[in-house]
Amino acid sequence: MLLAPTTRVRPARWRALDESHGRSLTLGMSDARRRPVLCSRPLPEAAFPSSPTPLFNSPFLAETGAIAQFAGRFFREGFRPRYEVRELLYQCYVVGYQSLPMVGITGFIMGLVLTLQSRPTMAQFGAEAWIPTMVGLTIIREMGPIITALIFSGKIGSSMGAELGSMRVTEQIDAMEVSGTNPFKYLVVTRVLATTLMLPLLTVLADVIGLYASYVGINTKGVTTLALFTNNILSGLTFADVLPAFFKTFFFGFAVGLIGCYKGYYAEKGTAGVGAAANSAVVVSSLLIFILDLLAVQITGLLGFN
Amino acid sequence: MPPETNLQPTAPPAPTGPAEVVLTLEHLTKSFGDNHVLQDFSLDLHRGENVVVLGKSGSGKSVLVKCIIGLLRPDTGRITVLGQDISTLDHEAMDQLRAKLGFLFQSNALYDSMTVRENLLFPLRRQWLAHRRGEEKDLVQQALEDVGLANTIDKMPAELSGGQRKRIALARTLILRPEIILYDEPTTGLDPITAREITSLIREVQLKYRTAAFIISHDMDSVRGSADRVALLADGRCYAQGTYAELAKHADPRVNDFFK
Amino acid sequence: MPSNSTSNQVRLGLFVVVGVGCLLLILYLLGSQQNLFQKSLPVQADFRNVAGLLPGNNVRLGGITVGTVKKISILSDTTVRVEMNLNQEAQPFVRRNAVASIGTDGLVGNTIINITAGPAPAPVVQAGDVLATHEQASLDAMLATLDVSNKNLVGITTGLREVTDKLNDSKAIWQLLSDEQLPADISRSARNAAAASAQLNGAAADVRQLTQGVRRGQGPLGYLLTDEVFAGQLGHAARQLASTSDTLAATLNGLQRQVQAGGGPAQALLTDTTAARQLRQTVGNVAQSTAKLNQSMTALQHNFLLRGYFRRQAKQKARATADSLEQVGRVR
Repeated sequence: MLLAPTTRVRPARWRALDESHGRSLTLGMSDARRRPVLCSRPLPEAAFPSSPTPLFNSPFLAETGAIAQFAGRFFREGFRPRYEVRELLYQCYVVGYQSLPMVGITGFIMGLVLTLQSRPTMAQFGAEAWIPTMVGLTIIREMGPIITALIFSGKIGSSMGAELGSMRVTEQIDAMEVSGTNPFKYLVVTRVLATTLMLPLLTVLADVIGLYASYVGINTKGVTTLALFTNNILSGLTFADVLPAFFKTFFFGFAVGLIGCYKGYYAEKGTAGVGAAANSAVVVSSLLIFILDLLAVQITGLLGFN
Repeated sequence: MPPETNLQPTAPPAPTGPAEVVLTLEHLTKSFGDNHVLQDFSLDLHRGENVVVLGKSGSGKSVLVKCIIGLLRPDTGRITVLGQDISTLDHEAMDQLRAKLGFLFQSNALYDSMTVRENLLFPLRRQWLAHRRGEEKDLVQQALEDVGLANTIDKMPAELSGGQRKRIALARTLILRPEIILYDEPTTGLDPITAREITSLIREVQLKYRTAAFIISHDMDSVRGSADRVALLADGRCYAQGTYAELAKHADPRVNDFFK
Repeated sequence: MPSNSTSNQVRLGLFVVVGVGCLLLILYLLGSQQNLFQKSLPVQADFRNVAGLLPGNNVRLGGITVGTVKKISILSDTTVRVEMNLNQEAQPFVRRNAVASIGTDGLVGNTIINITAGPAPAPVVQAGDVLATHEQASLDAMLATLDVSNKNLVGITTGLREVTDKLNDSKAIWQLLSDEQLPADISRSARNAAAASAQLNGAAADVRQLTQGVRRGQGPLGYLLTDEVFAGQLGHAARQLASTSDTLAATLNGLQRQVQAGGGPAQALLTDTTAARQLRQTVGNVAQSTAKLNQSMTALQHNFLLRGYFRRQAKQKARATADSLEQVGRVR
């Protein structure tokens, strides 16, 4: 089970609590921390798997439920004032602008390699003229969004997991709470919003860079003009190709931000906890991206866009 | 279980005479599963008074202080801070109340990604205090001078030593001019000399701003240096309280153990 | 929180502007590709079969995209109505009598609508007009026609084959063609006739010389002419000569008539030469026709059709001579 690294700690901690009656202060603290609700916004205890039934004993389900709850809290708190606009802009800068070089390089190589790799096969069928159309469709519909999202999850998901995790274990999140700042709004809402908003932009840019690389790739072996190349690509594209691919990247970005923040926000005590948070943030968000992609294909198919 | 000792249990320290009670803890209990950390804990804190809560590791001292600041919620019992029962406060009111409370974290909890200046400005800006730019600057400068580290203003927390970080954390607490400061093990992890400096700093702050301080500690040097009153937390309750000298002469072996 | 927050905001702004700009550019280009931003002219056409046409497919006039299919709806069990949007710019070039047909873009490309201009001048098309349609021959129909053609071709070749078989079986023609004596006889007859006519010619010259001497009345001829008995004998000889000459001429004429009008061995020879050439040509044509039998005529069809032929052959075989049995065996 991919979710295991963090989730299996939970029962162990409960055992530890039982065994070290009266002395496991830090464990007690981290227990309180596990709860995605701070003291001032209590939720019923029953919302948490404190008395595990066999079904809720499943770490996978418990984790899924906790992530869903975390997402619910994001929507509850995200749309209520006060809005951390400054921090949101800063996070957008970090998440968007600073990821651009990485995403750009990946996009470029993706376009170039896709073109060079497909050329021999297409040449066998005498269909070299179809390379722009094929590469354009591939990049815009699938490769651009998915590759960008995976790179993004590797870069941003891990850094969020590690950053929030270390803030958690060094009590910086508590310090924010004490300073009269809702750390969930200040740290989580801004980050999740930033990833949700920035990943689509990054994907568009990666698409454009990748298509340009494809143009370069075609010109290494043959000759085409930019105008013809553009027309070839556009002739093969419809809104039904572009728009679903664009909209699904919002969900990818949301998933990366949400999982990164969730893993960091509820990181276990200690540096190992930070590492585990960063690691599982990448693993879970990458997996989630693929699951969302599958869902996106199904849904666009159901809506008749395919 | 021995009965609670009654050495001037409710008397404020003599030098200042009876003062206003700023913090009241009544019958607090807090459990984590089967781990009953607090069981019927009661204590008062008066204005301008330093109370040290003494206890073994894992006896629930940190839980106690986090309950006061609202990071944890006690299972039963009442916490009254500056006349307000915190269980009745909503988020906004709690934030306003927190502006009057300072909390010095055991791990300092300085924001790694910010410079010292930004660390100090953060609570100032977050508390919606309508400071002018110049005033902000003065307040930062003042707080840093109070802890004797005015030259570190543009450094990152990672560049500072442990003692410096503790001082900066204290400066960040002081910048809002709190009426009560909660210290969570302020000298833990510091060398004896630095620990002494921090202890005397706690005293200085108390005298300069006439703040009440609720200090969690198990460092007896620090306790002796900073405490007007000492309360011993054992078995989840206020096992004994009194001045340092009184408790040092206490007959109960559980109390006595700390003063050996 | 960054210390150089302003320049960061500028960079972020740049990033967002470029990103959103790229997206809008792509969407705009796509939109203009699909003529979303142009004034469009709705026209309709009713088809019996739209062959998988989809909304968004292109409408072409003279190979140039002038619009897109907007909506496809079923009017009745045999009629599909296609609504399409034409560019305003294309309007002057589409006439009311233009014909719409379903086609494909390339061999395996998208289904498209081709608009072809009508033969006669007509007013320009207006919004909501219903264009006439032309059902493009479908692949099925083309295959059906090809099937009929193939069957006909098989019938023709079967007939040709029977003709050649019969020709091959007929010994008379081949004997005639291979007889070398006949032309020799004919040429000898001709030579004899020529010799006879030459002798006749010489005899006539002698007669003339004689009559000239007689007319002069000199020499022995003069004597002869005076002799009554000789004159009687001479008259008799001359009569016999004339009679011989008449017979010869009649013979020559008959020969000539026979040659020209036909009805004898000579005629047969000449006619047969032509027939042989024609026969050779015919056989060559048959070979060509057979070779030209399209490869697309599948083995199945081939076998199937030939099987019928062979069955007929097998029925005839019972009555056939050993020759024709061999013939069939060779073919098989």
